[in-house]
Amino acid sequence: MLGLGGVRGRLTATVVALVVITALVLGLGAYAFVDVSVHDRFVRDAEVQARFDLTTLIPARLEEPSTAALERSGLVEAFRARAIDLVADFGDVQPSFTSILSPAFSQAVADGNLAYQWTTLSTDEPRPRLVIGGRLPGTNATFYFLHDATAVENALAQLRLGLAGGAVLLVLLALLAARAVARGVLAPVEAAGRAAERIERGDLGARVPVTSRDEFGTWAERFNRMAAALGETIGRLEAAQAQNRQFVADVSHELRTPLTALVAEASILREHLDELPPGARRTGELLVADVGRLRELVEDLMELSRFDSAAEEAGREPVDLARLARQVAAARLPEARLEIPADPVVVQTDPRRIERILGNLLDNARQHAPGAPVEIRLVPAPGGGAVVLSVADSGPGLPAGRLDRIFDRFYKADPSRGRGGSGLGLAIAAENASLLGGSLTASNRPEGGLRFELRLPVTEPLPGGDPAATRGLESGAQTPTQEPVR
Amino acid sequence: MDARILLVEDDPSIREVTAIGLRNAGFEVATASDGVEGLERFRNAPFDLLLLDVMLPRLDGLEVCRTVRKTSTVPIVMLTARGDTIDVVVGLEAGADDYVKKPFEVPELVARVRAALRRAGRVPDEGERLRLGPVEIDVAGRSVQRDGEAIELTRTEFDLLLELARHPGQVLTRDILLDRIWGYDYLGDSRLVDVAIQRLRAKVEPDPANPTLVLTVRGAGYKSSRPGGG
Repeated sequence: MLGLGGVRGRLTATVVALVVITALVLGLGAYAFVDVSVHDRFVRDAEVQARFDLTTLIPARLEEPSTAALERSGLVEAFRARAIDLVADFGDVQPSFTSILSPAFSQAVADGNLAYQWTTLSTDEPRPRLVIGGRLPGTNATFYFLHDATAVENALAQLRLGLAGGAVLLVLLALLAARAVARGVLAPVEAAGRAAERIERGDLGARVPVTSRDEFGTWAERFNRMAAALGETIGRLEAAQAQNRQFVADVSHELRTPLTALVAEASILREHLDELPPGARRTGELLVADVGRLRELVEDLMELSRFDSAAEEAGREPVDLARLARQVAAARLPEARLEIPADPVVVQTDPRRIERILGNLLDNARQHAPGAPVEIRLVPAPGGGAVVLSVADSGPGLPAGRLDRIFDRFYKADPSRGRGGSGLGLAIAAENASLLGGSLTASNRPEGGLRFELRLPVTEPLPGGDPAATRGLESGAQTPTQEPVR
Repeated sequence: MDARILLVEDDPSIREVTAIGLRNAGFEVATASDGVEGLERFRNAPFDLLLLDVMLPRLDGLEVCRTVRKTSTVPIVMLTARGDTIDVVVGLEAGADDYVKKPFEVPELVARVRAALRRAGRVPDEGERLRLGPVEIDVAGRSVQRDGEAIELTRTEFDLLLELARHPGQVLTRDILLDRIWGYDYLGDSRLVDVAIQRLRAKVEPDPANPTLVLTVRGAGYKSSRPGGG
């Protein structure tokens, strides 16, 4: 979510870092200032008080500078009431805590000045103390005022806590704000990403909403202009292609009427070829044959243009592929070797299209490798879910680089050699295969020749859940019937 | 054979060569070049068979077919430009008995015409009556009643129903039906059978969506229900 890799993450991290630095600088600065002021003020007050105590209060209450007089005076108790421990050093017994005082402190006191030091007295007395020391004027007695600074330190600790809490809160707020801002800034980019995705899926009407007049707004407008131009270009290309296809459809349709007359005429002429004078007979035969070729070409063109205009629809009915393949083979290429299960292999498909595909493949095999043996196999696809009907010839095959063009319209494997057929048979077979939800592929056989594989999906168990059909297929694959069909 | 055929076709070449082919085969042929002329000719003289192009100027072939069907059971063969299922369906719905896809070879057309004429001239068995569920078939009168109510069937539909009713419970493949009803073995184009069966069901079945009289046998063909179920 907040990966530093993304622009949003980097933007957020930058903003948060800035806020953290600002908060640290401001917080630490403010704290240091308050800390120093509070301590200074405390010290100043304490010094003023000490000066007054040393010059006025203590001399007035103390009869003589001695420990006994101090105890009698009740000064210690009076100071304790003000949260100050009063300790005096009359030169006889040095108070224990004075060992922690710095030499500068002692020197200042010895010079007759007031001195102060922040300290704690011992590990047993962890309270923060301000120690003020000074000489009683005109004596050698040194008085120490041990102020309890706990309240001050507590207040400062609370301030620290407050500042830290504030800083954390600030960072959190900054995080949220930065993410919101980042999202806002990046929204147009994401919208553009979604629009591009839709365009990629073919929705050429997708646009980026132009929500602002800033750089992003301009950018979104440009993006939209680009999408519009792209859509226009594609539209033009599609229109041109549609026009092209319509032209082919129109041409083949217009050819149909004269072709119908030609086919009928040729069929009558064929019946009467024997009655023609010898000089005209051969021409008549050629005419009949060429009308047949023209018919095949026009019908193939019409079929392809129906595919192009998506006017073709596949029927769906239970079809016994084994029986159909045997029938087609018997009609189109009786000498083909069959490897087809004896039991029915039933799939939901369109039998006319299967017949068309297989017929075209057999025609191709016959023309591609005349006289060479052709093999038709029907086996379950490895992995299941499909059956494979294959036609293999023993011809010269194709160089590997040209295999992928074999289904192109009017593709000729060997341009120098005239090939029977319209040159559209394999293209039509491939179109039919994809209409049936299957696929048609070509490959070179290791032993030479081409193998075409029609893969058909088996979408439901058939017939009516009868397992015999599929069992038949499997057992048939192991012990195929190899009977040439007459 | 001197059967009279009316050929309605707008393209002069196709019209002429088809007429030549039919005459060579021994038929007597009259021609018309559009739907309106075709209807006029049909009304003015008796014909044994009508050959109708689908795409005709002024009045298209389907319309001519429908109009003729209102008054006549003459066999009608359509010449369709495309062999698409939709054309077949529409043609049969208009009352045609068969269709021939363009382009066609004349011998093929002649065979189809002969088959249609043969069926039309079939002499019914005297007094034979058949029952299929609630449907009663009067073979001689070529009429069908369901629960005493007359059902109008075309010739093809009647023949199909008769064929199925004569073999109760027996599976008849599409090829067999094509051979017996249409009179030719035409590998592959079983749509003719499927469409005719659908139209027959729509007329005779109490609930065409759940047929009980004319049943589909998946992957094989059709059969009529046995008396008393099955």
